Amino acid sequence: MPITWPYFGSMTYVSEILAREIGRKDIMCPKTPNKRTFEIGARHSPEFVCTPFKITLGTFIEMLDEGADEIVTGGCHSWCRFGYYWPVQKLILEDLGYDFKFIPLDYLKPSNFLKTLKDDVSVGCSLWQVLKAFRVAWIKGRFIDLIDELHYRYRAIELEKGISDKIALKSFRMVVDAENLREVRKLKKRIPELFENNVEVDKTANPLKIVICGELYVVFEQTLNLDIHRRLNDMGIIVKNSVTVSSYLDAGHKANPFITMHYEKARKAAKPYLENRCGGETLENIGDIILYKKKGWDGVVHLYPFSCMPEIITRSFIPQISRDHNIPVISFVLDEHTGETGFQTRIEAFVDLLERRKEKNLI
Amino acid sequence: MKYRVGIPRALLYYKYPVLWTTFFEELGVEVVISPETNKKIKEVSISSAPDEDCYSTKLYFGHALELVGDVDYLFIPRFGSDHKFNVGCPKFIALAEVLKSMFPELPEIIMPFFSKAKNNHGKLKILKIIFSIGSKFTHNPLKILRAGKRAFSAHHDYKKNLVISEEKLKKWENSEVYLNDIPVQEHEKGTLKIALVGHPYVINDELASLNIRKILELNGVDIITSEQMPRSLIEKQMEKLDYNMYFDNERELLGTVMHFIESKTIDGILHLVVFCCGPDSLIGEMSTRFSKRDPEIPLLQLVLDELTSEAGVNTRIEAFLDMIERRKLKIRSDKNCQSHGHILVQ
Repeated sequence: MPITWPYFGSMTYVSEILAREIGRKDIMCPKTPNKRTFEIGARHSPEFVCTPFKITLGTFIEMLDEGADEIVTGGCHSWCRFGYYWPVQKLILEDLGYDFKFIPLDYLKPSNFLKTLKDDVSVGCSLWQVLKAFRVAWIKGRFIDLIDELHYRYRAIELEKGISDKIALKSFRMVVDAENLREVRKLKKRIPELFENNVEVDKTANPLKIVICGELYVVFEQTLNLDIHRRLNDMGIIVKNSVTVSSYLDAGHKANPFITMHYEKARKAAKPYLENRCGGETLENIGDIILYKKKGWDGVVHLYPFSCMPEIITRSFIPQISRDHNIPVISFVLDEHTGETGFQTRIEAFVDLLERRKEKNLI
Repeated sequence: MKYRVGIPRALLYYKYPVLWTTFFEELGVEVVISPETNKKIKEVSISSAPDEDCYSTKLYFGHALELVGDVDYLFIPRFGSDHKFNVGCPKFIALAEVLKSMFPELPEIIMPFFSKAKNNHGKLKILKIIFSIGSKFTHNPLKILRAGKRAFSAHHDYKKNLVISEEKLKKWENSEVYLNDIPVQEHEKGTLKIALVGHPYVINDELASLNIRKILELNGVDIITSEQMPRSLIEKQMEKLDYNMYFDNERELLGTVMHFIESKTIDGILHLVVFCCGPDSLIGEMSTRFSKRDPEIPLLQLVLDELTSEAGVNTRIEAFLDMIERRKLKIRSDKNCQSHGHILVQ
């Protein structure tokens, strides 16, 4: 019974770690989506559903064709449509004639989450073993985030093009293949060293720094966001994702009373504009724009898929926040029809604006 | 001087019209409700609202802007949901703050926040909201309390009149009673029965729904709307789903469609979908899939937005009505043939 799950940028590694930890041997890692995946997904999807639905559906169809017959996906009870993806996708896939099993993980209810993992996904694990496996996954998730951060920093100022990509890939495999937690903890020093020793950087550069915020899936999914990280890095700009999935999964840091999670700070910072949570990452994104301005970052890129309900709200607040805090923010709506050239032009224009602003401030 | 409070006639107003107006009137405030959607409001909404919002939300912007200058306060509640864990639309929560952020020239907005789901608000919160709003207009706590009480009882009566009982629905399905006033000459033909499924703020808004209710009425169709459906039937249908449908407003729509697909007692279902409404995209897909699996009752889905042309919609509805009428005749003649056949055999 090969098992698969939706592709989710570097988060795919975390899912792979979790699946391995609970004893699955028959893993089929989802393929990176491409234009064909988009096409298949969009053909069978409702007309104006948000884009992640279409891409995940496309991935499922591709993986089912290759022989997978268990699909693990997320489910929730939030203000967002995401929790209701799988029942609709199940209807569509059933009508297409596929025979498979859908396993939704309700991540908002930890007890249900662990129970489904134990009963439906794992191979004869006890609840304690599942909990331990989940712990390994969230700890390794922190390192996946760390690699992403270092990768997007070193790639901007590397002298030999393409070297940090190789190092990042190598360190991702190191994290996934690390056998026990003692080895994982050693990586805390090893990964930064690996980047420092192997990537030669331009020390004279004074790069711009841009934060990428927005809907999680679009920020992580490189085919959908047309690899905006690479595009910005190629212009010599340091990039960082403001929100990460691992931080939501990280129960260890959440339970620790001495650590305030970044998204909690962001929610607090957003209060003057929006008081209540309304799904997705609305509050977090509004807060992040304010927080990163205070940290001295130069600009913010806000990404969201077409017809995403919560992020349209964020989008409506952006002009005021940008005015109040004097920080340039650009919003991109993305879907399967986004044109590459237009996207590139808009990014370049935004970067030009930031550069001129920086020069002006220096003078 | 009487304070004037403005309520935009859009979105949630169609769900709680009596509750809000009674409450403010009892407080001794003049309630100004924006006019029915017209061409001017539509144009203002399209030019001022965010591009990606759904059509109904866009219209809300137009209605709110229509009231500027005419009122002292705007009443835009931030409403989550009134169910234990089923949620409403996220845009309703942020609507007041978005309007304030986009149009600083708006008058002071009264924006109470209420959400039973996630925030666990209950009766105490309602009491707090009533007093916080009431104290803006009067210092008499008894008056505020009385206003709140009367508003809720009026709302209760309104709901009672709107929602029909299960027995009445049974009778209607068996063609014993009419729900609408149908002209007498239409009775003889045998009126068509159609379920009009859509959000209350779509089917009751004449411009947004392109007057579909009127068109159906003129054609002598007896309609039942999704907001009239008894809640118990809808909950029964929802239990059949694999996974709890957690959008509270959508349960009504999907439940109505599923009920009539199952009961097969009406001639057709007309489903109005608003373009870019998040939950509607999923519900629309589900109802078409369910209808395809059990294609006894014809289902017509119309997607509405600001570009939908009236003539196009009219044509489609007429074609749909023609189709179901002919279908009905055919079924009847088939039945006649069968009974005739029986007689011949005997």
